[in-house]
Amino acid sequence: MNPAEHCRRARAAARWGLGLLTAFVLHASALAQAAAAGEKSPDKDSDYTWDAAQGEKLQALAAKGDATRGEISFEVCQGCHRRNAQGRPDGSYPRLAGQHRSVLIKQMTDVRAGRRRNDTMLPFVDRHVIGPQDIADIAVYLSELPVGSDNGKGPGRDQAEAEQLYRFQCVECHGEQGQGDAARFYPRVNGQHYRYLRREMIAIRDGARGNADPKMVEIVKPLSDAQLAALADYMSRLPLLAPR
Amino acid sequence: MTALAALVLLPPAASAAEAPEVAKTVCAACHGVDGNSVAPTFPKLAGLQAEYLEKQMREFLTGKRKSEIMDASLPALKSADLPALASYYASQKPAAGSVSDEKLAAAGKAIFDDGNTASGVPACSGCHLAAAQGNERYPRLAGQHATYTVAQVQAFKAGTRSNDKARVMRAVAARMTEEEIAAVAEYIAGL
Repeated sequence: MNPAEHCRRARAAARWGLGLLTAFVLHASALAQAAAAGEKSPDKDSDYTWDAAQGEKLQALAAKGDATRGEISFEVCQGCHRRNAQGRPDGSYPRLAGQHRSVLIKQMTDVRAGRRRNDTMLPFVDRHVIGPQDIADIAVYLSELPVGSDNGKGPGRDQAEAEQLYRFQCVECHGEQGQGDAARFYPRVNGQHYRYLRREMIAIRDGARGNADPKMVEIVKPLSDAQLAALADYMSRLPLLAPR
Repeated sequence: MTALAALVLLPPAASAAEAPEVAKTVCAACHGVDGNSVAPTFPKLAGLQAEYLEKQMREFLTGKRKSEIMDASLPALKSADLPALASYYASQKPAAGSVSDEKLAAAGKAIFDDGNTASGVPACSGCHLAAAQGNERYPRLAGQHATYTVAQVQAFKAGTRSNDKARVMRAVAARMTEEEIAAVAEYIAGL
């Protein structure tokens, strides 16, 4: 059985309600299987390390950002991410307000480098549009914007199971309250739109995102669409705390 | 003393009442003396930002923006005081716009306000602002002739107009359908 087939079966099994423990066991066996088959996740290809501060990411992280300049540079982004970077509840564009500066810088530089594949965004964040200083400015501006609890939420299904799953698998990096971890490039997930969270988790699971922590890719691999949806829903309902 | 003399000798700051000579003798033929052109192929200039107007004139002169119609006026533009000309039109009162197809304009409003999330067209309001009034970085569009707006967006889409900031308008226009372009232009005309 090849790894892809294995994952399909693992997800199907999880969908049959075998529960958390089964999912975990399958996850461990998927890891072993993948290692045995010499499978490389896209994140492990070449010399890319998902959280390394190098190149222009390092430049932007080291630069002193200016929120006033950032607000002006962000004008180009407003057509999609909306004023005050609130994103859209339909999940087409994420909320960026209140996100960690480090995370925003990582995502912008990864999109520019083609590591996070995003053809929709690329022409607006490419090198002829902005440079590392602008990225630093935009990141500071966005990180200081207020976040409301008016983000898009899910249908509220399977929330007890989702909470268990979150506490078991996600909390170490994304935090008890979904506040993330700026120092380790883990995004804040509370206050984010449900549909966006769901879409991105599925993309990470299926290897379509490209710049995720490989540890997360392995964690979400055995999870079904329904489980990821419930998790996204749970995260979208986490109480809001100041991210900094 | 020298500074004072210079102050006294300076012409009064861009007088809106007094149109620059070139505006009256050259530009007015197409754009109207007050910048409210009548023919829909010629853009209204009244109330457009001075930064934008000056940039366009300079780029017509360098060839970065091309227009056969403007070619005939370039010798006059070459010797004109471009900042004064730009601020003259910027200070003119834009005439009220009008819509001829309400249904089309309503479809255009949806694109203008929200974009098209399926095809990645950003909302026009992101840069040009909610009432298409623009700012010193993005030009006012409100009340512009639909014919002119359509021609420009099509030119960005085809790449024949390429003097947009950071290629952003070309990226946006490339994602727009002909129907969306017509609808947005119709909506803008009524603002």
